[in-house]
Amino acid sequence: MKLELRGITKRFGSLTANSNVNLVVNPGEIHCLLGENGAGKSTLMNILYGLLIPDEGQILIDDEVVTIADPKDAVNHGIGMVHQHFMLIPVFSVADNVILGSEPVRPWPVIDYKAATTRLLELAKEYNFEIDDPNATVENLPIGAQQRVEILKALSHDASVLILDEPTAVLTPQETDAFMVILRSLKASGKSIIFITHKLREVLALADVITVMRLGEIVGVTSPAETDERGLATLMVGRSINFVVEKNPATPGDVVLEVQALYVEDARGLTSVKDVSFDVRAGEILAVAGVQGNGQTELVEALTGMRHPSSGNIVLNGANLAGQSVRHFLNAGVGHVPEDRQRYGLIPSLSISDNLVLDQLDDSRFRRRFGRNLKAIKANGAALRESFDIRAQSEEAPVGALSGGNQQKVVMARELSRELKILICSQPTRGLDVGSIEFMHRQIVDIRDSGVAVIIVSSELDEVVALGDRVAVLYDGEIQAIVPPSTSREEFGLLMAGAGADKATL
Amino acid sequence: MTTTEFQNPQLGAILRFAMRVRQANMFLVLVLALFMGLSFGGIMIIVTQPLLLTSWSHFFSHPGGTIASSFNTVWFAYEQLFQGAVINFHALRVLIDDPSKANLGIVLGPLSATLTYATPLIVAGLGLAIGFRSSLFNIGGQGQVILGGVLALLVGFSIHLTPILQVPLEMLAAIAGGAALAGFAGVLKAYTGAHEVIVTMMSNYTMIAILGYLLIQPLFARPGVLDGASKAVGVSGQLPYLFSHINSSLLLNVGFVIALVAVIAVQWFFNRSKTGFELLMVGQNPDAARVAGIFSKRSIIICLALAGGLLGLAGMLELTGVDHFVTPNFGGSYGFDAITVALLGRNKPWGVFFAAIFFGAMFSGGEAMQAFTPTNIQFSLADVIQAVVVFCVATPALLVEIFHLRGGARLVSNNNTGGWI
Repeated sequence: MKLELRGITKRFGSLTANSNVNLVVNPGEIHCLLGENGAGKSTLMNILYGLLIPDEGQILIDDEVVTIADPKDAVNHGIGMVHQHFMLIPVFSVADNVILGSEPVRPWPVIDYKAATTRLLELAKEYNFEIDDPNATVENLPIGAQQRVEILKALSHDASVLILDEPTAVLTPQETDAFMVILRSLKASGKSIIFITHKLREVLALADVITVMRLGEIVGVTSPAETDERGLATLMVGRSINFVVEKNPATPGDVVLEVQALYVEDARGLTSVKDVSFDVRAGEILAVAGVQGNGQTELVEALTGMRHPSSGNIVLNGANLAGQSVRHFLNAGVGHVPEDRQRYGLIPSLSISDNLVLDQLDDSRFRRRFGRNLKAIKANGAALRESFDIRAQSEEAPVGALSGGNQQKVVMARELSRELKILICSQPTRGLDVGSIEFMHRQIVDIRDSGVAVIIVSSELDEVVALGDRVAVLYDGEIQAIVPPSTSREEFGLLMAGAGADKATL
Repeated sequence: MTTTEFQNPQLGAILRFAMRVRQANMFLVLVLALFMGLSFGGIMIIVTQPLLLTSWSHFFSHPGGTIASSFNTVWFAYEQLFQGAVINFHALRVLIDDPSKANLGIVLGPLSATLTYATPLIVAGLGLAIGFRSSLFNIGGQGQVILGGVLALLVGFSIHLTPILQVPLEMLAAIAGGAALAGFAGVLKAYTGAHEVIVTMMSNYTMIAILGYLLIQPLFARPGVLDGASKAVGVSGQLPYLFSHINSSLLLNVGFVIALVAVIAVQWFFNRSKTGFELLMVGQNPDAARVAGIFSKRSIIICLALAGGLLGLAGMLELTGVDHFVTPNFGGSYGFDAITVALLGRNKPWGVFFAAIFFGAMFSGGEAMQAFTPTNIQFSLADVIQAVVVFCVATPALLVEIFHLRGGARLVSNNNTGGWI
């Protein structure tokens, strides 16, 4: 089955998630869709699967225009989707999950479990899947096996095109290898596969065709024969808005933060930060670059006390904070602008004033003998609203009603209003408009110039280069090198693809 | 919105006024809910009165008479409901003609009964509201009320001090008991992940069983009585009546003052105190609370212990204010009624206060309605009205749809319970 997307455009308010996207998937082809989070991959696939309706454009199957209004249409047209977060019922058996929604009945309403099991085993045999026990409960299976169940479920609906949304994000390396074998055998049996990922190595190992997306547009169509990791990394993070940040050369002072041989495990127990060591001085910005998912999140969580490192030291002004509580980090002068500001930075139902003191409830300015000093909190809200130009009806308005840029200003204003030794900003300008981006960058440079150490984590290479005084490149949880921002784009591409054998440290 | 709007003081004032009108929508919902409750109750009265049904079967020959008699019956029932709950107009007229203490007592009687019944509910409702605002669902109100009552009883009959000392001692015992029981559920949730709904719900059955056991033990059982009633709290341990100098039938006691203080204290707790604010944070967004350095395990335990303490206090108020002894049914449905009270009061302290008084009014008014209507309209009709009102307040979306309210959508997601109710 040949699948074609023609001129797909999808807008959410002022944001264009997909802009005139064209994509052709031929039968028996593994088509990799590569791009960072927010590049529009998931939007495109949700359109294909009928979860979203495009504003413009057509979907063609075997050169005929079809309408896909909901997932049922998609399934009827032979399109199957395996979501990143499995849509399985954990307490059901493998067979039950596969037949869910299309149960064989004999006579109605009795479900023919025998037929279901037989069908499952036939399917598994046809595609060389290992199914040890069709009656095993899904929640007891390892993640890799659960994923096979999810794929079987899609195949049982006679899917000829399979959409796999970041399938390897949840797998261990061994499971990933097994998964690749499955994909190859599916391809051999004539299925087309659309494989969404941001892991370059897998793309090169598997893909027949690679489509790279960035900011809702297709920025390149290539194949493993024509490119390498470096080329793909450059395409993924390459071109974007031109950041211009006016700043004087840094005047680094004493070392504020020293990270020594840090190892951090992620929620699944996999080591995602490996042997990371660096230091940051007062009055300089260390930018951490890298393709997303290479340990940035865990590194920031460790540096802010949210996640305890499995080993290594985090020394702030001579005191080792590793293993201490978040409160210790805050009291030691660590400012944190989290990656996901809505979830980790704000309480949407509370007012701007309250959100501006979330981590400063113990500050004597905002305390009275008993309880909180509401007058001072309100005054503080009004003052920061003024100086950070937070656009809202009043400082008593709930923060959830603000735009993304104004919400980020609230978070930034709060962190900067504390006495800081180091400020850690993760993706400080993600999703912001150009005006807010400039404002954030100005604030970051100003706080640097006032003698605070700053760490910026960003997957925008342009932002990293514009802001950083030194740039550390993370790949697979390791720092490949710490280089000056003047390093060439090709060199960055190489480092971000993991080619940091000769670790040049500046 | 553009910046100019905020810089213009006049427009700012208009926006502020618009905000105020928006808040009035909640008032509108309450009025409409009451209207719905009374309408539904009216229909119930008409279809359950044989005489009225007979007259409806002759509707087409005497339409006017049918409607008039139906209306009169419903009106009279609601008149009794109101007079039993708030004020009796006839007694008021008598009082004006003959201002005596006895007559004043009769006038104040219904209000006193309403507030007396409402007193433990206010405190219990506050306890549950604390949990809901922090997204913790404490189902164990009944058990905590029982434990509070039992401990207060123990203090009440075993020592005899002056009321000034003994009543606070009883309060302390009751609060400690309720707080320990609910706090234990909090510890289990914080450190083992056991869900507070299951733990607190099971604690209800445990406490009911323990109560039944205690009441046949010589320590608690009243000598020579076989109905399971306990010894009574000594006079010094009983809550003094507030208006007994006017008329001994006025049962409103110091408990109501304690409940008022509790309302103000909880209001202060959420608005002003650091701990209260932390509970709000953890309830609304635990992730952001963690980033801000708040230890959510501690918050969970504190929150449930506070909630339990208030429920224990409610048990003490019920015991020492009204009956002065415990029966196997002690606590009744307070634990569950309080959930409804918190819901009706939208988890705001003063909301809970008035919701509990509404419940008290329906209770004492319902009794009057049953006693004074010619066909003895059942007391449970008051429950029906109450249920419809709560239903409407809990689902503002329904009222928004029925009455085509404008901009009512934001009312729907505004009850601070973290999605539980």
